[in-house]
Amino acid sequence: MRDWRPLVRQRLAALDLDPTSEADIIEELAAHLDDRMRELTTQGMSPEAAEATLLTDGLDEEALSTALASYRTRRRSPAPFGGGAQRGGPFAGLAADARYASRALLKRPGLTTIALLTLAIGMGVNAAIFGFVHPLLLRPLPFANPDQLVTFWGTAPDKGLPVVNYPDALYTYYRQRLRAVQPMAMYAGNDFTLSGKGDAERVDGAIPTVDFFKVLGATPLLGRTFRDDDHTNGRSNVAVISYRLWQRRFAGDSAIIGKSLTLDNQPTTIIGVMRSGFEFPGRTSVWVPLVIDPQSLNCWCYDAIGRLVAGATPESMARDVDAINGDFWAEREGRPRTPTRPGDRSGTVVRPLASNLVGEVRQPLLLLLGAAGIVLLIACANLANLLLASASDRQREIAVRCSLGASRQRVVRQLFMECVLLSFGGAVLGLALAALLVRAGSSFVLERVPYIQQVGVDPAMLGFAAAIATLTCLLVGAVPALKGAGISVASALKQGLRTTGDKSTRRLNDGFVVAQIALSLMLLVGAGLLLRSLGNLLGIDPGFRAENATVGRISLPWTTYGNAPALRAVAGRLESSLRSLPGLSAVGLTSTAPFSRNNNQQEMVVQGKEPSAGEPVPVASVRAVSDKYFEAVGTRVLMGRAFSETDHTDTNNLVAIIDQSVATRYWPNGNPIGAKIAVGDKQNPRWQTIVGVVATIRHQRLDRPPDHYVYVPLSRSPRLNMDIVVRSALASPEVISMMRRAVRAIDAGVPLYSAHTLAEAIDESLATRRMTNTLMLCFAFTALLLAALGIFGVIARHVAARVKEFGVRLALGATPAAVVALVVRRGATLVFLGIALGVAGAVSLAGFLRTLLFGVTSVDPATYALAPLLLATVALLACWLPARRATSADPLDALRAE
Amino acid sequence: MPASELKKGSAEFLILSLLEKRARHGYEISKLIESRSKGALRFNVASLYPLLYRLEDRGWVQAKWVENPGQRRRRFYRLTTEGKKVLLDEQRTWDEFVRAVRRVIAPEYA
Repeated sequence: MRDWRPLVRQRLAALDLDPTSEADIIEELAAHLDDRMRELTTQGMSPEAAEATLLTDGLDEEALSTALASYRTRRRSPAPFGGGAQRGGPFAGLAADARYASRALLKRPGLTTIALLTLAIGMGVNAAIFGFVHPLLLRPLPFANPDQLVTFWGTAPDKGLPVVNYPDALYTYYRQRLRAVQPMAMYAGNDFTLSGKGDAERVDGAIPTVDFFKVLGATPLLGRTFRDDDHTNGRSNVAVISYRLWQRRFAGDSAIIGKSLTLDNQPTTIIGVMRSGFEFPGRTSVWVPLVIDPQSLNCWCYDAIGRLVAGATPESMARDVDAINGDFWAEREGRPRTPTRPGDRSGTVVRPLASNLVGEVRQPLLLLLGAAGIVLLIACANLANLLLASASDRQREIAVRCSLGASRQRVVRQLFMECVLLSFGGAVLGLALAALLVRAGSSFVLERVPYIQQVGVDPAMLGFAAAIATLTCLLVGAVPALKGAGISVASALKQGLRTTGDKSTRRLNDGFVVAQIALSLMLLVGAGLLLRSLGNLLGIDPGFRAENATVGRISLPWTTYGNAPALRAVAGRLESSLRSLPGLSAVGLTSTAPFSRNNNQQEMVVQGKEPSAGEPVPVASVRAVSDKYFEAVGTRVLMGRAFSETDHTDTNNLVAIIDQSVATRYWPNGNPIGAKIAVGDKQNPRWQTIVGVVATIRHQRLDRPPDHYVYVPLSRSPRLNMDIVVRSALASPEVISMMRRAVRAIDAGVPLYSAHTLAEAIDESLATRRMTNTLMLCFAFTALLLAALGIFGVIARHVAARVKEFGVRLALGATPAAVVALVVRRGATLVFLGIALGVAGAVSLAGFLRTLLFGVTSVDPATYALAPLLLATVALLACWLPARRATSADPLDALRAE
Repeated sequence: MPASELKKGSAEFLILSLLEKRARHGYEISKLIESRSKGALRFNVASLYPLLYRLEDRGWVQAKWVENPGQRRRRFYRLTTEGKKVLLDEQRTWDEFVRAVRRVIAPEYA
């Protein structure tokens, strides 16, 4: 006779009972089955038939474990920590529910796959964006008490100077008088040529005042930071280096303190190594104390930071700084510098340091987080509709279970458990997707945003994923679970399978579809507006020809080249040696090429058009350029001429070239050639004759209106730091290596750095925008696809439910086209309702986009026409596909069934 | 009335009644229910044992392995004191219910 124990054991396996109880149950049940078997065979049944009878009677796959499921928690092996407390509590049988739910999901692989993928996409993009938002916007700066840290600057928008940094003299003054921040420090970025052991290289550096590290609360790993006497002796020859440089260049030498390195040809003693991760500002490797000249107003170039004292607010501090500025100018010049005029907007800006560090990416990230959230909402709506449909499909199953004694609560719990499994399964898949996305995007963000060490999958992201999964459960699971369990048992059993569900379910389905359409339209509009902005930007003439132009920068050490004749000689040799090379069609030198960080702004006065007292003095950026610079960079000379040989030698006649924006400002209709202009000290202007007008160049960004530019001959204003601009049809790596060789031939200790093409520079300036656009487009199309799937599903179910009715209509003479129209009309109503809501939503939310838009308003008619058109087309196609099935209903079948 | 619905409400009562006089094992209980109901009520392993375990968990019945020479081990169920009280209550309620039903339907046949 058959041994029933293995079979029983197998049926019980899923319950995970403790071994003693399990053995008891197996023995008891096996004995029962033996008795029953004996009984059946003695009644004359063949052993095979008896066995078959037993197998179908209570021994099928689920019956036994389902029936015993609720006993599992009681008879299970004791939980290692207080599991016993659950005994019979509200969570009894939860694991059994989970198993039941997972079996139920596996039985419907199509639904499960679609649901998991939908959720994985929705959650993946959210987790990925969160992966960036958290370290960039939410995580506090890695400084002590970061919320006390502020940065401040002057502003004079009337002069076209939104940001005015501070000169040496003001630092001295602030340090004595400003009480709102204790301590305070100033610093400037300053790259160094690091030579000595190994190749000469250019490293990111900063020159801060002594209290810099104290303000940030940063302590060194080795040695010390700066002391007062490091920078008041008129010269500094000490440096603090970053952990990374210490590791990379000095192999983590523990005896590094006191050793020497060569910075810009000067021997410098290393006095400290900072801890890993401290690289402020930007990715600084070397800090050298700033040598302050207490009287100097020459370089308005220092950023100021400080730690707010208790009781001080950014507003009160800004007022203090304004008052101190007034005292400063009164003391120095016997009068306030800028007489207060009505409507004067100049003053002091005080910002938390954190908000200033991630400025550029803040808004795009928040926008993308919102967009990702919308994608998830759409995914949730889809899932809710799927589960609602499946709950209606399962009415009969649920009714049977209720009549067999399952409680409502239990059924709700099991249905909800399916949703929990889907949500968390989706979250796990989504995290995998997020890990990929974050890896793809992080190198990009790390380059752009200062002070970010890691963007990646971290506990915060896991927590976020868990949170959105929970939220998804609640959003998606509650309605179908309650509806599913709320069906009338009797009517469900009587009617059999009805696929439409009741009227309120249908209304919910429709509501979700309308919401999906509306949300995806909002994303489409947003993506469309950004796309138009990028198109407008790409269509902008930067004022130079970026293609085939390569730029590289050199910084000559002051010790060797610290005089004008030497600099002129180097510039001349460099130009002529590059010009002699084949394949280079033009070579120019400039103090700063377009799309480089450095800028030098000075006040500008035109002879005969001087501003009256109190009127703001306009500011121009000044560029020193060589004769062939405009040819090399590809900027047209609109009037007059470029610089020439004679401009260098004729000391009596100083010359300048202005750009069109200056010409338009002062000579809207006239000819500026021959007029005189001065930049810099307006008290003692050095008048320069305008010999030419060139096209306006956008030197900084495409999306900002260009500044005024005044060009002076490089030979008159030779520079230690120069950009070499070369025009050539050769590939840029080749051009760069030619430039590098030419520089090395002149001085092997001078590296060529920041070598790039102008096209790359423009691309780089648009990179954040491009990434935002690409992601927005991805989100919008994902949303479109999900919404199309959503409406497809609802219409398909609608058709399936009414297929008999359509058959009758066809039998009674309706044309197939009329039946299709009937179905599509229903879908179209939802689509157009969704579009109307979506347009309203987009208009009200488009304001958030305003700062990211360029050359397009937030209610751009073209976008608002095309996005709904695209959406309507796709959505109606998604309605039409299932609608065609309505015509396949056979009239005869339909009539017979009725 | 379908057997399943009848069973749902009354199965526990039936089992307790069968254990009133003496301890019995599972198969014996299922045979008694089947034979006394003339085949109208039948329990299989999946429906009977969960019930027995539930009654055991509630403390209404107590199970004990009993070994008789020459026979396999059997698990015998017997009423506990509490089980007896419950059964008494159930019987009283049932009697009242049946009497009430009789009173309601009697005139139809009078």
